[in-house]
Order: sequence, then C-alpha cells, then structure tokens
Amino acid sequence: MDTTVINRLGLPNLGLGVGLRSKHYSHLMQNDPVVDWFEIISENYMNNFGYGRHVLNHIASIRPIVMHGVSMSVGSTDPLNLDYLKQLKQLADFVNPVWISDHLCWTGVANINTHDLLPLPLTIESLHHVASRVNQIQDILQRPLILENPSTYLEFESSTLQEWEFLSELVNKTGCGLLLDVNNVFVSGFNHGFDPEFYIRNIPHQSVVQIHVAGPTDCDTYLLDTHDQPVPTQVWKLYQLAQELTGGVSTLLEWDANIPEYPELVAEVQKAKEVLKGHLPNVPVYRTSADAVSNPVNHQMQATHE
Amino acid sequence: MSELTTLQKWLTSIIVRPGMLDDKIRLADEHYQVKNDKVIRPSLRLSPAQKIEIYSKGYILRLLECMEAEYPALNKLLGQNLFHKFVKAYLVQLPPNSPDLYNLGEAFPAFLKASQPQTYNSDEGVLMYDLPVNLAMFERCIAEVSRIEGLESRAEEGAGNEMPYLFNTTTIYTSPCLKLLTLQFPLVDFIQHVYNDLEPEVPFKQDSFICICRKNYRVNFHELEVWQWHFLNALQNKTNYMAAVIDTANACKVATDTIMADLILWLPVAIGLGYVYLK
Repeated sequence: MDTTVINRLGLPNLGLGVGLRSKHYSHLMQNDPVVDWFEIISENYMNNFGYGRHVLNHIASIRPIVMHGVSMSVGSTDPLNLDYLKQLKQLADFVNPVWISDHLCWTGVANINTHDLLPLPLTIESLHHVASRVNQIQDILQRPLILENPSTYLEFESSTLQEWEFLSELVNKTGCGLLLDVNNVFVSGFNHGFDPEFYIRNIPHQSVVQIHVAGPTDCDTYLLDTHDQPVPTQVWKLYQLAQELTGGVSTLLEWDANIPEYPELVAEVQKAKEVLKGHLPNVPVYRTSADAVSNPVNHQMQATHE
Repeated sequence: MSELTTLQKWLTSIIVRPGMLDDKIRLADEHYQVKNDKVIRPSLRLSPAQKIEIYSKGYILRLLECMEAEYPALNKLLGQNLFHKFVKAYLVQLPPNSPDLYNLGEAFPAFLKASQPQTYNSDEGVLMYDLPVNLAMFERCIAEVSRIEGLESRAEEGAGNEMPYLFNTTTIYTSPCLKLLTLQFPLVDFIQHVYNDLEPEVPFKQDSFICICRKNYRVNFHELEVWQWHFLNALQNKTNYMAAVIDTANACKVATDTIMADLILWLPVAIGLGYVYLK
C-alpha cells in the first residue's frame, strides 16, 4: 500500500478500497480484508451500538477508515443540523477516520430529509451559501471537509457556473478537498450533454483526495447512478484520466445494491490496477427498462438476528 | 425568501407530495410562483417534468426499499402491493425528517393502528386489523434492539460464582437492550419463517408475551411464560429484585414463594439469553 503523503491537503493515497457493507460483516470478521482501506456510510454507524459498530471497531483496528456521509445537506437553506454534526464528530472520535466526506447537494428543506442527493442551482448565491456552510462545518469538525460531485438528473436555468467551475471556486473559498466520483461525472455528462473528460481536466487536481468508481444504469433516455453493476469501460477510462491528472489518489469502489460476494467485490476494485497499466476492461453500461433506484440506501437497514 | 430557498421548497414539495406528477408540479408552481419550464433546463431527451419525475419516483422507490428491509414479515403478510400502499400513505403523512434511516419506520406501527376503523368485533376484523399492527410493533422492536446500547462492552462480572443471585439478588438488572411486548397473536414462528425464507402460517389469536433482546451482537426473540414476562417487566421498572418478585406475584395471583422458586430455575436461562445480567 502506498501511503506516501502527497499534495492532497496533506492526506495520503490509501490505495484501493471498498465500502463496508453489512452483507460482508461475517466474511470480514473471519478473513483478511485484502483491500487497503474502507469507506463507511457515516449515518449507518451514528447511534448504532449493535453488530455493525463491533465490525467497524475490528476493521478500524486493521485498516484505515474514511467516513462518507449522505445527510450533511451542505446545500440546504435550512439551518445547519448541529445535532447531526455533533454525532458525526462523536463517530469520528470513535473511528479516527483519515478524512470525512459528503456531497455537494441538499437532501431536503423545511426539516424534511428525502434521503436523496438533490442538485443545486450553480449560481453565485449558491456558491456563497455553500462556502459559508462548508467553513462552519470545517470549524466544527476541525478538519477539512471532502466534497463529492453528485450524479444529477436536472439542471437549473438560473445556473451561471459549470459544476467544475463551482467546485473550483468552492475549493478556493474554503480549502475543502474533493472526492471526484468519475461515475457521477459520466452520468451527469450524459444527462446534461457535457464532455466528462473536459470536466475532469478542469477541476483543481491538487485538491482531489479520493476517487469513486461505480456502475450506473442506462435507462434509455438518461443514466442513473445505481451502484449495482460492474464499472463500465467508459468510467474506467475517466478513472485512468483522473489518476493521471491527480498524480494518484485513493480509489473506492461503490457497490450498494445487488451487492456481490466479497471476493467478487475485491476483484472488481482490483481492476483499477490493470486500468492504470493501460488495460481497460470491456464492460458495457448495464441497460434496463425496469424501475431502478439511484443512491440505494436500503443496504443500511439490515439487522443481525438469530 | 431567497431564490435558492424558494427552489428548494418548490422541488421538495413536488418530491414528497402524493398524486399525479403533472398535478404536483402545477400545485407547486402556483404555490411558490415558479414556472417549472422556466426553472428546469430542458434537453433533447427529457422535458423538465420528466427530469423532476426521476427524483420524485426515486424518492418513493428508495424509501419503499428501506421499509421493506425493516418490515419483511409485515410485507409478507400484507403482500407487496398492500404493504406499499400503506408505506406510501405513511410517507405522505410523515415525510422523513431525520438523517438516520432507522428513524424512518419508527412511527409506522402507530400509523397502521390509527388507520384502522374505530370499532370492529368479528374475528375476521381482528385478524385483518390487529395482526398487521402486532407484526409491525414486533419488527420495529427487533430493529431497535439491533442498534441500541447493549451489554457487549461490559466486562463479564460475577464470573466464577455459578449462582450468585441465590445469595445476593440486589445485583440483578435487566439488559439495556431488553424489550418486552404483549401481543394478541403468537408471532415468533411467523417472523422466524420469513427470516429463513420459509412460508409462514398465519397464527390464530392468542395472547402472547414476547421478549426481544441482544446478546453478543445477535438479536433473539422468544415467547415467555406470563410470570416470566411480568418479572422482567417489573425488574425493568422497579428498584430491586424483591419488589419485582412481589409485583409479579400480585400480577399473576400466585404466592411470592412460588415466583422465587421458579426464578431459581429460570434465572440461569435468562442470564444466558442476555435478558438480565449481574452487576
């Protein structure tokens, strides 16, 4: 594992990692994790004192952990949820994560949480609003926040900035880091008609701390971020470009529905090594006419019972 | 209200409201003085309404999956169509407001109860209305017990003394992750069958005293004898063991000595299952 500290807010390249999911708890308690590091969904372990936290405690003792949230709602116009941030910090004190990330999005307003990653109008108003909140959050967490570009399915007419411009300005204003989800760039690029490569070439590479790869679904007229398939060739190609431009950052495979057995999951993330050698897997984007779910979250709900 | 606030309230109202998409968009447009086709950028492939629909459809599908994961036995009993109808109505009445998905289904048993007719007498009515509520209460307790603080972080105490409770009952406490339920149906077998992917049999009405607990991170649930249930319930609420024994004897209308004699035999089982522990 290469843990050489490079210029990514001083954060290390952790190598290849996967998400810690309850389906693999039993396997991971009895076997070597194989991968270099794990990402957890923060909300799944806040106020959770059951088996999940026990497994997390074990994994954290043998591998680096990164906390990835889905409910910080950094773009919401509701007041910051200070109780949530307090619980997040408590979890961070327990886990000692290498960094904490969430999304450039809002999850709801008027005290409603849709549990979705909703898009912002990319305006100067939004930029000031988000930058102010990121600064407050960073003060509370006492560490830089790492923000991920979400998959989006609509754009606002009022947007005056491209997403890569918005993220660059946000980095300048707050010193936050970026979690570049190349699958989300691919999905949003298809949905909104921009060139994903141009997007990746125009973000501030020195601030990219982590990369996500995942498999989306082709719903004919749009792509959906389903995290339920192998990573397609197009996403690996963007990954290759991103690693070249960033100089090498931590890589995480997201797989949140139709989750395979652990060895298959590991094999999928290990493909990244071949990609970096120039060998791109030939994998088409999965197509379906059935209803698919973006940002699946039900993997967080499994109990352990006799 | 800033433009950003207006847009967020407008889109949220469309996503979480029930009804046909076009109606929801029209109502939100009117309420927030927004024109959807002026706000959302169209594309060659999709209209603004179709783009909004991706989010409104995803919201329901995503939360339905979560509720299916928390209430698998209820889903089995009702069938997916009816289960989804109740969940959709629940989400309309109580849209999620917590970052924690485990809070999503918290009020579902109470919602189901409130959805029932005020009065019904027939056995068929009891089966139709009370059984789903009982099952929802049971599954919610299982979800809660799986996550609340338990005894796992506590060092084993009293080890080496085989039956210390025979001599010092002041050290006996109920587990912090013990939950007790009284139900109108015996549902342990039904839930076990669903969890094991077996076809469950719908039970007949019969009072059932349930204990749900967690030990070594595994959730267990069992049907108790009435006196056992009363004892655990009393021990949860009373200050000491003897007060719980007296309470149990009064509730079950048996002699205190009888309860104490039964406890000598049963306490090792209760300790083994993690219902009680020795401090």
